[in-house]
Amino acid sequence: MSTLALLLNQSVNALSQAALLFFLGVGLTLIFGIMRIVNFAHGTIYMLGAFIGYTLVNVSGSFWVALIGAPLVVGALGWAFERGILRWLYRRDAHAFLMVTFGLALVAGEAVRLLWGPDALQVPPPPVLSGVVFLLDEPFPVYRLFLAVAGFVVAIAIWQLLERTRLGLLIRATSQNAEMVHALGIDVSLIRSGVFGIGCGLAALGGVLAAPLVTAAHGMAATAVIDAFVIVIIGGMGSFLGSLIGALLVAFVQVFGNYYLPDFALAFMYLVMLIVLVVRPGGLLGKEA
Amino acid sequence: MADVAAAAAPPPAAAAGGEDEPLLQLDGLTKAYGALVAVDNVSMRVADGEVRAVIGPNGAGKTTLFHLVTGVVKPTRGSVRFAGEDITGRPAHVICQKGISRTFQLTSLFPEMSARENAMLAAQARQPRRWHPFGGAEVFLSARERADAAIARLGLTDVAERPAGLLSHGDQRLLEVAMAMAQSPKVLILDEPTQGLSVEETAQTVDTLASFLADSRVTVLLVEHDMEVVFRLAHKITVLHRGGVIADGTPAEVKANARVQEAYLGGME
Amino acid sequence: MGRSSPLALLAGLGVLGLLIAAPFGLPVFALTLLTELLILGLFAMSLDLMVGYARLVSFGHAAAYGLGAYSAGYILLNTSLPLPFAVFLAALLTGVVAVGVGWVCTLATGVSFSMLTLAFAQLLYAIAFKWVSVTGGSDGLAGIPKTPGPFGTTLFSSRFGFYYFTLACLVGAFLFCRMLVSSPFGAVLRGIRENEAKTLSLGYNTRLYKIAVVAVAYALGGLAGALFAPFRGFANTELLFWLLSGQVLIMVVVGGAGTLIGPILGAAFFLMLEHQLSIYTEAWALFFGLVFIAFVLFAPEGIWGLARAWGERVKLKGVLHG
Repeated sequence: MSTLALLLNQSVNALSQAALLFFLGVGLTLIFGIMRIVNFAHGTIYMLGAFIGYTLVNVSGSFWVALIGAPLVVGALGWAFERGILRWLYRRDAHAFLMVTFGLALVAGEAVRLLWGPDALQVPPPPVLSGVVFLLDEPFPVYRLFLAVAGFVVAIAIWQLLERTRLGLLIRATSQNAEMVHALGIDVSLIRSGVFGIGCGLAALGGVLAAPLVTAAHGMAATAVIDAFVIVIIGGMGSFLGSLIGALLVAFVQVFGNYYLPDFALAFMYLVMLIVLVVRPGGLLGKEA
Repeated sequence: MADVAAAAAPPPAAAAGGEDEPLLQLDGLTKAYGALVAVDNVSMRVADGEVRAVIGPNGAGKTTLFHLVTGVVKPTRGSVRFAGEDITGRPAHVICQKGISRTFQLTSLFPEMSARENAMLAAQARQPRRWHPFGGAEVFLSARERADAAIARLGLTDVAERPAGLLSHGDQRLLEVAMAMAQSPKVLILDEPTQGLSVEETAQTVDTLASFLADSRVTVLLVEHDMEVVFRLAHKITVLHRGGVIADGTPAEVKANARVQEAYLGGME
Repeated sequence: MGRSSPLALLAGLGVLGLLIAAPFGLPVFALTLLTELLILGLFAMSLDLMVGYARLVSFGHAAAYGLGAYSAGYILLNTSLPLPFAVFLAALLTGVVAVGVGWVCTLATGVSFSMLTLAFAQLLYAIAFKWVSVTGGSDGLAGIPKTPGPFGTTLFSSRFGFYYFTLACLVGAFLFCRMLVSSPFGAVLRGIRENEAKTLSLGYNTRLYKIAVVAVAYALGGLAGALFAPFRGFANTELLFWLLSGQVLIMVVVGGAGTLIGPILGAAFFLMLEHQLSIYTEAWALFFGLVFIAFVLFAPEGIWGLARAWGERVKLKGVLHG
């Protein structure tokens, strides 16, 4: 195909990839911004979204139900989990936290394997999103275009939530100075649980959206948590804009790297992370980890 | 325990004599964080064996200045020379190895190790075989000697076996100083050594420091808010205000300085 | 960590004696299990150096194991180097690679360090799939021989001989680690563990120490992997998978980090659960994960720590009543 068509094709491809990565990363960074902890189980939650999505599609026959339902279910589970178990861990040091969420990732991963079986599961996209559309006379999967648009929409939505709404204000305030917010008479623990739930919901959304592309599989969790972490490292822990930039950067590097040097695609992502860590250890836009 | 107020004059032993090249020389040292200038064009000459106090209101840039000298923070401009060598911007551990040891404003120790072990690790750092992965009996023996000497000097022998995290606040501050001393430094940088100490503990610390300084020719940079301590120990005083030097001289000169009086008594930050 | 009490020393020698006598009393399958335990114990102990003594939590220690296994497998399949040499060479290779890994990972600290170790292990995992000519891709390496030698002896290739070789490696590694943590180097590690900033300000180049401990830990982990390859005769991508990294970390924490012995106990605990529970339930791994969480929350000193505390209480009771 012509160079322009190729560039466009791959760029939209990268945007769709960036959308998935963004859903992963923004949840992790929001959670870190509020609670200063890294949720190792984040990748497993992403995977959970995919599997629950699979079940919802099979039960209801509609992809859209799964798209709305899975994030809600997982977000609620996350909220409950934070209120029930995690909040007792804040006094402990960061390592204990990391290890517990790591243990959780293992337990949840095993639970998924037991509930849904060891095989990867196919999740068909809805008929309206199957098929191709033509960009500059070259076919391009509609679903990926949908992903890119979805990513854009959600990014705007979250941005508006953070900047324009009271909840967003509370979230930003709590991430900067939780004690002050508490002193103002607001229940900070509710904000924390809420953000954790939202973060999990976003990851699950990413999982559901990713499922038609990559199938709901068990290897998802490990790759996802690393991807999420790489993005957040690059963009900076706790920075919403940083997770957006990180997702875009990683996606473009991956997609174009994959096209020109397919065997080294994986290495590219790590290379970018490495360079960022060397040059700006706090991430491009971040607060200190 | 001596009465702090009684001994007002610093010991005349002052070694500021006759050396052309100062041991520590700061030239135009500046640190700016964007528009905020924490340290503003500070120049200083500290002679071998001199005790120099750096004073100033809160936020005057004293701790940042120490960070610049010890390599914790890199300067925006200016230079630091130690014993004729340019050490500007070198890493903290390298500068320490050259003979500059420091204590911190916020007590920083190894809480689960005993006081003795804390001091031993400090002493070990200045030995050529500190990194040896085998044996090390000699290294430990030598480190222990220095550690015990420093601990005794600071009157901590009774609590030497106790975990550092369980010591009283005053003893912890003293342990920090002991650790710095155990490194046999040429320059000792003390950042508010009496901060948080009771009146008694302060007097005790000052006595200990005074006698230690009288015996050895260690050069000292000292940040202190307690003026009595300053006047008891310091040969010369540098006054910082908003990052810049506003006065520099003997205690008598500084006491009489109008700008200093204004900075301290007039516009307190 | 003080010097061992005479009682502990006696107990240790007793256990060693049992281990030396074991092959003569045990049926074949039990000896195989015991060998597996020794290898896994070595693997866990190697991670303890990083986690327990320097607080460098690695989520990617499978990289060491896999690297050692693949290296040994490749050497044994493609050269006529005798088994012991192949094993040691593989361990050495792993250690050398680990210097680079350590250099990169120590660019970051805390959680970022941990994630970087995981990222590196994932990278190796991906490479193992792609580099088919060397690693055999998703099939892995098979038919890894216990090459006889040196001088044609089949001492190390026999079941007994291999067991003693493995035991010697474990005991040797243990003594080496003991010496390391009691040395000046070990004292610095302890400083880094308790307060890295202070250690740096005392004049230690802490990054170098961290890189060194990573290299040693990986080398010993690679030794374990290098023993695994000829023992089971194969090496595959499972050995590089993050699940294994997680399991060995659990062994260290549950067994008791920072004690060298604890992780070996953790490995034993893990193997026991795996073999016993898997008969009853498919969900044994889930159970294991829950046990791990419980330990982190309620018994962070691990099994060995609990045993020690119990021992202290018994001693105290003896003193009070005796």
